[in-house]
Amino acid sequence: MAYALSRVSKVYPSRAGDVPSLREVSFSVARGERVALLGPSGAGKTSLFRLLNATLRPSGGTVLFEGHDLARLSPRQLRALRRRIGTVFQQPPLVPSLTALQNALCGRLGHFGVFGALRALVSPPARELKRARDALSAVGLAGKELSRADELSGGQQQRVAIARVLVQEPDVVLADEPFAALDPALTESIAELLFATASGRTLIVTLHDVKLALRLFPRIIGLAAGRVAFDEDAASVTPAMLSALYAREAEPARESEGSPADHRALT
Amino acid sequence: MGGRGAHLAAFAAALLVLGWSFRVAEVRPQLFFEASTRHAVGAFVRNLFPPALDAPFLLVALRAVVRTLAIAVSGTVLSLILGLPLGVLATPTLFRRGVLVAVGERGLAARLLSAASLAARALLRFLRAVPDLLWALVFVVAFGLGPLPGALALGVNYAGVVGRVFADLFEEAPPHPLEALHAAGGSRLQIFLLAILPQTAPGVVAYALYSFECCVRAASVLGFIGAGGIGYEISVSMRLFEYGQITTLLALSLALIFAADALSRLIRRRFRRAGEMARVEESLRRKHFLTRSRAGGALRPLVAGRALRALLAMVILAVLVLSFADSGFFSAGGGEGSVPLGARLLHFAAQLVPPDLSAPFLRSLAEPLAQTIGISIVGTLIGLVLGGALALTATATLVFRPAEDPGRRSRASDLLRGAIYVLSRALLALLRSIPELLWVLLCIVAVGLGPFAGTLALGLHTAGVLGKLLAETLEEVDGRALVALRAAGASPLQVLLCGMLPQARGTIATYALLRWESNLRVSTVVGLVGGGGLGLAMYNSVQLAFYPRVATLVLLVYLLVMGTDLIADRVRARGRQLEQEPERRARELAAVQA
Repeated sequence: MAYALSRVSKVYPSRAGDVPSLREVSFSVARGERVALLGPSGAGKTSLFRLLNATLRPSGGTVLFEGHDLARLSPRQLRALRRRIGTVFQQPPLVPSLTALQNALCGRLGHFGVFGALRALVSPPARELKRARDALSAVGLAGKELSRADELSGGQQQRVAIARVLVQEPDVVLADEPFAALDPALTESIAELLFATASGRTLIVTLHDVKLALRLFPRIIGLAAGRVAFDEDAASVTPAMLSALYAREAEPARESEGSPADHRALT
Repeated sequence: MGGRGAHLAAFAAALLVLGWSFRVAEVRPQLFFEASTRHAVGAFVRNLFPPALDAPFLLVALRAVVRTLAIAVSGTVLSLILGLPLGVLATPTLFRRGVLVAVGERGLAARLLSAASLAARALLRFLRAVPDLLWALVFVVAFGLGPLPGALALGVNYAGVVGRVFADLFEEAPPHPLEALHAAGGSRLQIFLLAILPQTAPGVVAYALYSFECCVRAASVLGFIGAGGIGYEISVSMRLFEYGQITTLLALSLALIFAADALSRLIRRRFRRAGEMARVEESLRRKHFLTRSRAGGALRPLVAGRALRALLAMVILAVLVLSFADSGFFSAGGGEGSVPLGARLLHFAAQLVPPDLSAPFLRSLAEPLAQTIGISIVGTLIGLVLGGALALTATATLVFRPAEDPGRRSRASDLLRGAIYVLSRALLALLRSIPELLWVLLCIVAVGLGPFAGTLALGLHTAGVLGKLLAETLEEVDGRALVALRAAGASPLQVLLCGMLPQARGTIATYALLRWESNLRVSTVVGLVGGGGLGLAMYNSVQLAFYPRVATLVLLVYLLVMGTDLIADRVRARGRQLEQEPERRARELAAVQA
């Protein structure tokens, strides 16, 4: 079992009182499974996502990764575990002043020591260099290795972020709204790339686009107001379930402009 | 962008300059490992305790504190009296360009005014470029030992600083009220009083307070060269090897500096931020290298109630009069056969000209000049390395584990991290609150007279300043990229190396460069107290009453400071160009794709 969540909740304290983001969420994900997380803005998708990549502390409940309770791990063990989880963020979080190659190599940081990190910036070992070059050409960025990240377009930056995950060689690939910052024409190619990257690995993606989710993922988890609304095979998801899921959403807001709670989770 | 060859050449040149600097600054790190050094420092530190607390000495010390404060207050007031009119005259939008001079006014009067405005700008630049201690030395020669030359030196030097800042503030005031008043037929003075001053008053007050803070810091070291105040007592105790007294005086002068900062902060907090001026002040802050939130917004009355306000005004007036009196302004004429102040100044100025430009003297300046430059470069480098090291443990985002991190937490480790953080911040505060010149005296104890003491002193003070700025810069780096690195399993040090430093390196370089400029000014005067460089030549010329040489040296310092400002400006412009390059290209790319 890759993940097992039981009765996980997350509350953000604020001046106006506590803002619950997740309430008693329980589900598990088997190794190699592909899951899409659906839900309206403010449903708690981003919080859940950060719980899964071990960068957020739950207010209650337990998160097990490969049987390890995250709350019991030392910082070192936590880092070793994060190395096995590759994350593609909604906004590609590259270091702007580093090159595409260096940014891709950042995926190996969990494998390097501090000295290795320094070496990776200055003159990486041939094996790592080849790994990063291969990853960049796999995402179609051959020839762009030495461009600074802030010289690349949004789509190219997202490709670098995926190359970073390729270089990291994780067991699990998580992607939070990977297409939100892209125009529709690019979505298809990045989606293909993501699936190729995740082949043989567990893949969990949060999505706003229902059709895309139903087409690409065998299992769908619907999240509304911080609770699991449904957890079904794609085939058994009915239009009624979907309209109930999005019923509370007054207007078609984008996840990127999510609720205050989601914003806090992002920053 | 140069190729690999250009990079290599630049690197080699930097190495050469550094090697040269280390040599001329007579850096001898082996001194730290010699038994005699350890002995001297050990004895000094042991003898610092117990602090001297006997009543007669305390009385002397407190008197010196009051005197220092008096010098600082009268220096600040003088700087405003001089700086404000010069700042107005130097404002380009009033006299040189913009709506007020755009239409028709091309007569002789307009041209004269424009020339006067440029002259005011140049004068401000000169007043600013010659360091306060040098001004003090010149005035000590002109008026004799005592607090008066100190107050005059502060007034003149900080007039140059605030005058320029005021001119910048006035220039960037929103222009529409100006145009309206001009159209209604207002005179320049009316336009300034009614359209510019009200919009910029909060900034003017904020920078007046800033001038006060600077004056208090400076006033505590002016005494080293006989210009009165607590510095004089420190140098006397140092010469008498009364180290217990040094502890007391050091504590008192630090207390004074902290109190002045706190007072100025208290007053500044009474201001509200107003949108437009906050933006202007932010840009000024960057330009003039101030720490955060120097300037406020709209003015509010300091205290409520008429009676209270009248009382406050009287107290302030009394403080001002007493300060000027204690600084010797009113007794100045009486002491020495009642020659008025201005006459004495003229008499002295007449002795300065013509400057000594004889070849042997100029040749003899080559070595101290090289030393001064070397001291400033190595001092800045020491400050950058030491401050950078301390900044790491003073960066909250590095030292503390993110509160959101899952996993085990231990109370002991959290406490330890907190202690490390607080200690590093405190150490940085201590390093930067001891003025450079005081550090010189302390370093002389360890490594003896000479440029190495000056270099170390600059390094220690700079470490305090740069360390704090670097820590703040690292804390303010965009966090999204860091979260991603952490999520990929990076350790805090790796996050620093691959995420924080690449994002912060431009800012770090800017700060180091600015600090080098300021260090160059100081390195021209460390020699006055035994720290090597041009200061020593200056001291000797004054002692021997070779006033034309003093004039030459002042000019040399001015040219040196202007020259480095020019170099630094070019480096900065190039840096900005490099920084903006990718942004520009990305924008173009986006435009093409859209």
